Amino acid sequence: MTGAMSRDELLAALPDLSEAALDDLIRAGVVQPVQSGSGPLFRPVDHARLQLAMDLQDAYALDEDGLALVLSLIDQVNGLRGDMQAMLGAVAAEAPETRARMRQVIRQTRITIRHG
Amino acid sequence: MADDPYAALGVSRTATEAEIKKAYRRIAKTDHPDLNDDPAAHERFKAAAAAYDLLKDPEQRARFDRGEIDAQGQERPQRQYYRDFSQGAGNPYRGEANYGDFSDVFADLFGEGGAPRRGGFRQGGFGGARSFDMRGQDYRYTLEVDFLTAARGGTTRITLPDGHMLDVNIPAGSRDGQTIRLRGKGGAGMGEGSPGDALLTLHVAQDPDWRAEGDDVVTTLPISIDEAVLGAKVEAQTLHGPVMLTIPKGASTGRKLRLRGRGLAKPGGTRGDHFVELKIVMPPQVDDELANFMEKWRGKHAYDARAEQRRGGR
Repeated sequence: MTGAMSRDELLAALPDLSEAALDDLIRAGVVQPVQSGSGPLFRPVDHARLQLAMDLQDAYALDEDGLALVLSLIDQVNGLRGDMQAMLGAVAAEAPETRARMRQVIRQTRITIRHG
Repeated sequence: MADDPYAALGVSRTATEAEIKKAYRRIAKTDHPDLNDDPAAHERFKAAAAAYDLLKDPEQRARFDRGEIDAQGQERPQRQYYRDFSQGAGNPYRGEANYGDFSDVFADLFGEGGAPRRGGFRQGGFGGARSFDMRGQDYRYTLEVDFLTAARGGTTRITLPDGHMLDVNIPAGSRDGQTIRLRGKGGAGMGEGSPGDALLTLHVAQDPDWRAEGDDVVTTLPISIDEAVLGAKVEAQTLHGPVMLTIPKGASTGRKLRLRGRGLAKPGGTRGDHFVELKIVMPPQVDDELANFMEKWRGKHAYDARAEQRRGGR
């Protein structure tokens, strides 16, 4: 797996993360390493997720459950943001008439009236 | 980073350690690039993180205050933020989005939108249970196996997040992306509910010597120039042990020899083929005898190895 790290390599890359803290985060499902015959492998996505988890723990004093909730919301929001960007890209490539029709439908279903 | 780490954190030069920490946390809360879209916030966070790295260590801070070191050289190594992954397609930790009545529109546009998702973190724990008998959650994992284990079948030992070890049977002919279901190895059920399953998505690791093309297996077999010129019988490895392979006279690099029915197992009991791709390897040293012979040979028998390519107009 490209760029994947072993447990020891990960701990070396994140000096502020203790072995016990890593075990807690794995047990809580906050991070799920890839299983392999030679032990767990941590992908770049796991590495980045752990860094964010540590930042959040530090800033908000979250326990594992709270952390899991926050990360789940971040995944949902950022995932939607990615979907939305893809959708907007597709809409931008459409003809003006098509976009006008879409605008009309969107206005009917999601009316936002801004005063002043 | 800014020249003045105190300014980056918005504290005075006489600030206490606690004040510095507090200032950093405040910036981390508002400006963390994973939580804030604004590029300016990103810059503020980067500067504050570098400043905090310098000032949190009293010794480093004292050296900076005395002018022995400057704020430069404190740049953190380029960090890859989680946003880069969580916003991209195929984030293994993201749950499936549910767009209600428009689920099939979403699936039509984005692929497997309504299908069970791959990989990742369970979010089910936050939903409300309607009954006290509830089937346990399915747990999803990604399991990496090497090429030969996937092709030949075998067992891999894995450690579940709760610390339990589990021997997983990998069926022969497993493909990248295939899912293995382990019944009852997921989360515990509630009340009378049965436990969930563990679902392992296989990731077949790349192998320097073996690769799969659909149901077929491709390997590269190095041969010497004399074997290429004169033909030979050479041993080649297959998924099920070595075979003697006849190298035809005058074989070129890239020529593929087919071993029928020695590829990956297909459902229904048949198998793909194994292709052995020849690769001519020169001797470690070209001695005088070989060079002299070639010179003489070229005098009478020179040929254009690139004639084919030229005909193709390239």
